[in-house]
Amino acid sequence: MSNVAGKAYAMNVITPVRWYTAWLNKLYFWAAVKFPSTLSGLVTLSLIHYARWTIIGRKSFPHLDHRQPKETLKYSYMLFFSNFNGSWEQYVDSFTFAIPSGLDLFWKWNVRYSKSVPLTPFHDYIQYNQIETPHYYNAYPLASSNDVKSAANVRATLLAFERAASQDESDEAFQKRYHGLLRALQHDLGEMHPTPIVTMAANQVEKRTQWQSRVFEAPNAQS
Amino acid sequence: MANVSGNAYALTVLSPIKEGLVAGKEIAYADAVRDRLYDWNELDNSPMAKVPQTYLCRYFVLDDVYVQSLPSGSYPDNRYDWSPYITDGKRRGSLPAEDRLQSRYLVFSSNFHAGPNADLDGYLHNMWDAISDDIREVWGYCYGFDRVSSAATFAAYIKKCQLETTLFFVGSNDDPLPEQLKALFLKQEFARFAATNQGLPAAELRKNYNEFITRVAPEDLNGPSWSPGQYKFD
Repeated sequence: MSNVAGKAYAMNVITPVRWYTAWLNKLYFWAAVKFPSTLSGLVTLSLIHYARWTIIGRKSFPHLDHRQPKETLKYSYMLFFSNFNGSWEQYVDSFTFAIPSGLDLFWKWNVRYSKSVPLTPFHDYIQYNQIETPHYYNAYPLASSNDVKSAANVRATLLAFERAASQDESDEAFQKRYHGLLRALQHDLGEMHPTPIVTMAANQVEKRTQWQSRVFEAPNAQS
Repeated sequence: MANVSGNAYALTVLSPIKEGLVAGKEIAYADAVRDRLYDWNELDNSPMAKVPQTYLCRYFVLDDVYVQSLPSGSYPDNRYDWSPYITDGKRRGSLPAEDRLQSRYLVFSSNFHAGPNADLDGYLHNMWDAISDDIREVWGYCYGFDRVSSAATFAAYIKKCQLETTLFFVGSNDDPLPEQLKALFLKQEFARFAATNQGLPAAELRKNYNEFITRVAPEDLNGPSWSPGQYKFD
């Protein structure tokens, strides 16, 4: 299991939806795409890097070869893939507390969907339908989604600060401008540090490195 | 197209895995695929770190679909519970149906920077050019992959396996990955600079700042930055 890559967690949830009501879910999602203000609740969940919903019709699973047996499914399926920061419980609970009605709308009519409130049946539902990720890659495992957003602001502000520089500027005037820069960026600065286990892969690499140094370097040190 | 949000692209791929056992080994093709994915975790970094513009991606094997068949179902599943005159047979019949997949699927889901033209082909060509051996290793047991021999045929194959995303939400940003990594590097370095240069006289502060800017080169994407997938600081 490698659901974790640094500060990101990969969640895969696949839930059955009756084929004759799947169009309703698609309609809700279509409205969300057309009217992005409906996603304002999601925006408040700043712990999300990227998330997606995909509805597969029961006859729409990819079929690539005549030797491949055709699917004979009774339900269509909704795939939910999310990349978020923090623990599983924090994420699922924040969904429940921040956008319970939106959540219920997206999963409306999914078979055995328990609604997002109360929490325990909702936890059970997600756990039952979640699939583990053997391999998960994150381009910036040291950063959270908020880090990525604030870093873009830091870079843009620093570049603007540089453009505003002048050869004639006195040291004192520079200092004043610099303090203004710090004030402007006070919400975006903050050092990043690795989480205790950044990825399963990284953890395994560290263990192997430590093992190698014990096995191969220790005798050399003695001689 | 819901695959795209701004300059970011949500690629969802389901590739059917062949039925049967790997020759000479008592292991199903799907389990061999899963083993190879676990093997990638043993490498110094994921092969996907070499694929340009990949923000986050995942691979897993979908063995089957699951239908939770416990009490607490919603209407109309439990409509028969309302009547005491319904036989047990009908009551059982009202529970969710059992569903089974005929094939197992390799699922690949990637979030990447595709630019204003949603350039999926460019991404897939770069992916093939960067890690074709790894791609063959993982997709080699999938139906239809035997016709893949080049970047173009790989892109065509992936498109046949692609599912249209219904809703794609970008909670981060959709800048090109090198810009994101450069920005993260700057944020880290500037936070350290600000902390260690507090309370200095104006002239010394300015001198240190100029040296800092020369070192970090904020505009230069090819200059000092984080590398994709970097999981520790030097």
